[in-house]
Amino acid sequence: MRIFTHLNFDFMGKRKTFYVLSAIILLASVISLAFKGVEFGLDFKGGTEVVVRFPRTVEIDELRGWMSTSDLGSIEIKSFGTDTDYIVRTEQKGQGTEISNKIKSILIEHFPDKGIEILQENIVEAKIGSEIRRDAVIAVFFALIGILIYIGFRFKFIFAIGAVIALFHDVLLTLGIVSMVTNLIPGLNLEFDQAMVAAFLTLVGFSINDTVVVFDRVRENLKLSKSSAFEPVLNKSINSTMSRTVLTSTTTFIVMLALLFFGGEPTRGFAFAMTVGVLTGTYSSIFVASALTLDWTKARKAKITF
Amino acid sequence: MKKYSFRIIMIVAFILFAGYLLWPTYSDSVYQSKLESLSGQDSTEYFDENEASIRNARDNRLKLGLDLQGGMYVTLEVDIVELLGKLAKNEDENLRDILAATKEEALTSDEPVLDIFRRRFDEKNMRLSRYYGDIRDSNGEVMDKLSDETEKAVERALEIIRNRIDQYGVSEVAITRSGSRRIILELPGVSDEQEVRGLIQETAQLEFKLFADDNTQLATVKRIDRVLLGKPPEEEVDTTAAADSTDAALADNEAAEDTTAAAADADQLDSIAKANMTDEERLDEYKKENPFLGLFIPTQYGLFATADQKERINNILDRDDVKNAIADDLTFAWSAKPEQLQDGSEVYEFYMLKRKPELTGEVITNAQAQIEQTGLGGAVVTMQMDAEGAREWARVTGANVNKRIAIVLDNAVFSAPNVRQKIIGGNSQIEGMENMEEARLLEIVLKAGALPAPVSIIEERTVGPSLGEDSISAGINSFAIGFVLVLLFMVVYYQFGGVPADIAVLFNVVFILGILAGFHGTLTLPGIAGILLTVGMAVDANVLINERIREEFGAGKTLRAAIDAGYSRAFPAIIDSNLTTLLTSIILYQFGSGPIQGFALTLGIGIVCSLFTAIVMTRVIFEITADNAPGLVKFG
Repeated sequence: MRIFTHLNFDFMGKRKTFYVLSAIILLASVISLAFKGVEFGLDFKGGTEVVVRFPRTVEIDELRGWMSTSDLGSIEIKSFGTDTDYIVRTEQKGQGTEISNKIKSILIEHFPDKGIEILQENIVEAKIGSEIRRDAVIAVFFALIGILIYIGFRFKFIFAIGAVIALFHDVLLTLGIVSMVTNLIPGLNLEFDQAMVAAFLTLVGFSINDTVVVFDRVRENLKLSKSSAFEPVLNKSINSTMSRTVLTSTTTFIVMLALLFFGGEPTRGFAFAMTVGVLTGTYSSIFVASALTLDWTKARKAKITF
Repeated sequence: MKKYSFRIIMIVAFILFAGYLLWPTYSDSVYQSKLESLSGQDSTEYFDENEASIRNARDNRLKLGLDLQGGMYVTLEVDIVELLGKLAKNEDENLRDILAATKEEALTSDEPVLDIFRRRFDEKNMRLSRYYGDIRDSNGEVMDKLSDETEKAVERALEIIRNRIDQYGVSEVAITRSGSRRIILELPGVSDEQEVRGLIQETAQLEFKLFADDNTQLATVKRIDRVLLGKPPEEEVDTTAAADSTDAALADNEAAEDTTAAAADADQLDSIAKANMTDEERLDEYKKENPFLGLFIPTQYGLFATADQKERINNILDRDDVKNAIADDLTFAWSAKPEQLQDGSEVYEFYMLKRKPELTGEVITNAQAQIEQTGLGGAVVTMQMDAEGAREWARVTGANVNKRIAIVLDNAVFSAPNVRQKIIGGNSQIEGMENMEEARLLEIVLKAGALPAPVSIIEERTVGPSLGEDSISAGINSFAIGFVLVLLFMVVYYQFGGVPADIAVLFNVVFILGILAGFHGTLTLPGIAGILLTVGMAVDANVLINERIREEFGAGKTLRAAIDAGYSRAFPAIIDSNLTTLLTSIILYQFGSGPIQGFALTLGIGIVCSLFTAIVMTRVIFEITADNAPGLVKFG
C-alpha cells in the first residue's frame, strides 16, 4: 500500500494562506485563554478533594444539594467519568484532614448502610501547587533552550528558531483548544493537572521529532544540489517526507484515540491534548517551522548551505 | 551468516538480559497468585518454604507507582516557625509578634522562612542573640546556628518517622528527604490512613527504663511457655535457683537444653532419654516444650529473634491469655535496629523492661556525638540534663550501678548502656558505639526527646486500591488496543517491511520495562505516557527507514543496495530526532519534579532502546532475509 507516491504540492507557495489560518486559530486561543482560561486542577491550585464512588447512580444536582448544607464554602463537584464516580473539591484550607473528613462524613450520612468507596483523596497546600507550577515551567523552559542549542548546532540557527517558534505555536494552540473545549463535552475532564503537563511534554516531543525529520530532508537535499533555490528544495523535501509524516501521525493518532475512548478517566485529558497536539505538531513542521525559515532567508536574502 | 554473528550475539544478549531483569517481576506475580489461591495455614507454610525466593522476587520486581497500585503519598515539612518558638531561650511579646508575622508572610512568600525571620529582626533593630545562641553572637552567627538546627530537626523527624514506620510494619515504605526541609513518604497499599497520620504527627516519646530483674524475666518466659502449652501459668518452681542460670541458660542450644532439663528435673528418666537424642531432635524437643522461648535464638548476651520470629512473638504477646499471665509492671520492647550475627543474618534483641519510665526525654538539654577525647578515641555520645533531671538521674544511676538502662524512643530500644557509677550533675557519657554513625543516631534519638521536630503535612495523596486497578486495567487495555492497531497497520502498509518494525517495537517495550526494573525504577501513569511517546518514535524510525528503502528500491537499486542505502539515508533523521528527545528527557528529569521525572525516565530509557532496535535489530532481520529468501522481502 502506498500513499502520496509522487506528491508534488506547492506547500511553500500557500504558506501565506496558512499564516492567516494559524493567526486566526492562535487569536481565538489567546482570547479563550484570556477570558475563559484553563481550569487548574488540585495539583496547581491547592485544596482538598475527595473522589468517591457511590453504590448507585447519583445525579450531580442531588450531590450538590447534599454538599450545600456544609460550611465548606464554595464546593466544586465534577463527574469522574461515570454516573457513580464524582470529585468533590474545595479550596478551603483546614488542619490536616479536617476538610476531607467533613466531606466524607456528609457523603456517608447519605449512604449509611451501603458503602461508598473513596477512590482518591488529595490534600495539597497552595504553596506546593505553586512550586509544582514553577518546577514545570523551569523544566520546560530549559528543555526548549536545549532543543534550540541542539538544532542550531546540528542544522542552522534559523532552523532552530523556526522549530522553537513552531513548538510555541503548538503549545499555545493546544492550550487554546483545551480552554475552548473545557466543560463543553460532558464526561471529558480537561483540568490542568500533572497528567496534562505530561501531555504537553509529549506533544512537544512529538512536534520537535516531526520538524527534525523535515529539516533533515531539507539538509540532505541542500547538500545534494548546492545551487538550487531554497523554496523548491523545501517543497521537494516536504513532499518526499509527506508519506512518512502522514503515516507516523496516523499511528500516533490511533493510539491516542484508543486512549481517549477506552483509557478511563485519569488519562482522558492527556489523550485529548495529545490528539490535538499530533495534528498541530504535524501541521506546524510545514507551515510554521519550514515556512518561517523560508521567509527569514528571503528577507535577509541569505543563502543556506550545508 | 558470519557477518551477522556479532550483531546477533548482541541482540540475543540484550534480550536475555531484559528477560533476566524482568524474571523477578514474573515470578513475583506467580508467587502472589499462588499465595492468594491458598488458604490461611497453607499459605503461611508455602510462604515459609519459599521465603527467600519470594522476598527476592518482591525486591527486584518492577514496582508500580502509587497511582497504579493504590497507597498513600505524603509530603512533610518541618515547621520552622514552630521550631524557632521552641528553640528560643526565652519567649516574650516581641518574639511572639515576630514569629506570628513570619508565619503569615511565609504562607505566601517564596523567600526562605529563616530569611524572613531575620529580616523582621533587622527591621526592629533587635539582636537575635537575645533569644538564641550565645549572647555575644552576631546575628549572622546566630543565623548559622539556627539553620544548622533546622537541618538537624529534619534528621530527627526522619529518624522518628522511620522508627515508627518500622514498628508499624508497613512494607516497602519509601522515606526520602527532599530539599532541605522536606520528607516524602510513599506507602503503597496502605489503607488505614488515620493510623499512619497518627504515626507521623504525634510527639515522640523518649524514655529511660530499667530492665526487669533476672528472676522476673525468667519467670515471665516460663509463664508464657506454660500458657502456650495450655497449663496454668503458676508453677511452684524454685525461682531463685533458676534465676542464677538465666544467662547461662540462654547461652546456646546445649545450655538451653539444660534449662529444660532443670525445669523438668522431677523426671530424671526423661533427661536420660534426651541425652541419647541427636542435636536436632533435642532442639525439636526443646522447642516443643518451650513454645515461646524456643522462638528466640539463644545467645550469651540476651534474647534475639529474626524479623519473622519477631512478628510471631509479638502476636503471642498480644494474646489475651498471655497478657493476663504477665505482671502489670512489665513491658516488652525490641531493639530499634537489627544486629548482624556472624553468619550474616539480622536479629533484633528482645527486652523485658519495667513499665514505668525512670525519666522522660524532656529533661535532656543537649546531646552530642563525638570522638572520645581521653580514652581509646572511640565514638561516644555525651548527654546533658537540666537541674531537675540531673537530680533524678543521680538517684536512678546511684541505685542501679552495674545494671543496664534502656533508652527507648516510641517503644523501640536504641541503646541499653550499663551504669558504671552514680552520675551527679547531669552530664553523662554513653560509650561502646561501633562507629560515629551509630553515635549520631543516638544523638538524634536523645534530642528527639528534648526537642520535638514539629512537622506538618503539606501534601497528601491517597489512591484507593480500586482506582489503581481501574486505571491500570483501562490504561493497559487501551494501550494494548492502540498498540495492536499500529502493529497491524504497519504490516498492512509495508507488508514484509512491517514485520521487523513490529518485532522491534515489541522488544522495545520489553527492554524499557526490563531496564526500569533493573534500575529499581517505578512505573507510573506519566511513565506509561513516556513509553507511549517512545513507541511512537520507534514506529517513526521504522517508517523513516522503510520509506527510504522504498524510495531507493523504486529508483532501481538492487534489494540489498536499497536496504543499505535506506538505512544510511534514514540515519541522520533518526539520530537527530532521537537525540533531541533524549536531551529533552534528560533536562526534564533534572529539573522536573515527581510525575515529570517519571515521564522523562521512561522516555530517556525508551529512546536509547529504540535506537538500538530500529537501527541494529531490524537491519539484521532485513539483511538475513534479503540474503537467504529475497522473494519474501516486499515493501508493499
